[in-house]
Amino acid sequence: MRYALFLGCLIPVKYPGFESSTRAVAEALGIELVDMPFSCCPAPTLIKLVHYPSWLALAARNLALAEQEGLDILTLCNGCTNTLKEANLVLKNEAALRKNVNDLLRPYAKEFKGEIRVRHLLDVLCEDVGLEALRKQARKKYGFRIACHYGCHFYRPPRIMYPDRLSPSKSLVPTQMEEILSAAGLTTVQYSRRLLCCGSALGTKVDLEAANEITREKLFHMAERRAEAIAVACPSCFEQFDRGQMMINRKHDLDYAMPVLFISQLLGLVLDVDWKRLGFDQNRVKVETLLGG
Amino acid sequence: MKSHFDEQLLYECYECARCTGSCPAALAVEGFNPRNYLLTCLRMGLDAVVSDEKLWCCTTCHVCEDRCPQMLDVTDLLMSLMNEAARRGFIPDKVRAGSQMVLHTGRVVLVSKRASEMREKLGLGPLPEIPVEEVEGILEKTGLAGLLG
Repeated sequence: MRYALFLGCLIPVKYPGFESSTRAVAEALGIELVDMPFSCCPAPTLIKLVHYPSWLALAARNLALAEQEGLDILTLCNGCTNTLKEANLVLKNEAALRKNVNDLLRPYAKEFKGEIRVRHLLDVLCEDVGLEALRKQARKKYGFRIACHYGCHFYRPPRIMYPDRLSPSKSLVPTQMEEILSAAGLTTVQYSRRLLCCGSALGTKVDLEAANEITREKLFHMAERRAEAIAVACPSCFEQFDRGQMMINRKHDLDYAMPVLFISQLLGLVLDVDWKRLGFDQNRVKVETLLGG
Repeated sequence: MKSHFDEQLLYECYECARCTGSCPAALAVEGFNPRNYLLTCLRMGLDAVVSDEKLWCCTTCHVCEDRCPQMLDVTDLLMSLMNEAARRGFIPDKVRAGSQMVLHTGRVVLVSKRASEMREKLGLGPLPEIPVEEVEGILEKTGLAGLLG
């Protein structure tokens, strides 16, 4: 199991604890991660909306880099996953667009050939590591109740993100996170509006206050099922729930205090990796209350 | 617009408003209404839509197309409209600033001293260098640099 690690922008700069916990978990599970000079993916909520051809070209550069090493890309962020999977699919299927980007990449000795896959950490855990391996390697037990939030760009639109797994109505309901956490011995809860957006992209582009109202809707339904923690697989969703709880509490005089944990932080706990590599001091809603003694 | 969304598809809309009923941005922002954008495009053309700043409130969550009984890619429509708005010089401040960051640094966030300190404390190496000239070179040729001004 060897992959090109695509960190994206937010994780290595704002949340390096997600990077160090991912590396720690990868070591424990026998996953080898290779670092490469990737740029911004670029984000499906930013450059893609401003200028699609630029979005496609920069994504092609990132894909071509990994192709040069013959490695599949492992992503940790939904935005990166969405961009790289979509660009990979579009460029594999459309010869004219492929020629355009390759003309742009040629001066830099790069070429998009369409030879690799892009995989989110969740899918690598489910499919390559396997749930059985997680079950066997889980060392520590925790009983807190976890609400999983996937984040839209992880699996939508399904026709692009999971073309092989569509339901008869051409849709898809993701379950990887619950499967992984359950296999690791953790407790997940179902809640209403489980697949609602966190609101992040509205906040980063235009209106943070409005974005927080979407977050508040989600928090209400998570709390209703007595969730004690929120699991995420994306740094943007993380920020929206973690910072969002603080802002929402202040604005609406509420007292939400559900720690938000990145998937590798949760698995790091269960696999009992070095505590210092889990980076919990970056979580605004403090995690320690969950762990007791 | 034509390159990403086939305008003929607009005529497939039932006007059932499921897109808008399931839209998180419509839940939070008064006046953001995917169904109205679609219908306005049909009845009044693009001009009436692309100048509306609220268009950019779309989170690109794609739930609209997931729920649409006609399987219209409403998010792709909105993305095409935002591309057209940007072409006409209308880009919200935060979107312009973020795009310029990517153009000039290859990242969407500024690398702070604090980031290096946090990384060191976690036992992580320095951030991988991004060949900025290469990123800029590509994005100048595609036209992003010119678009952002």
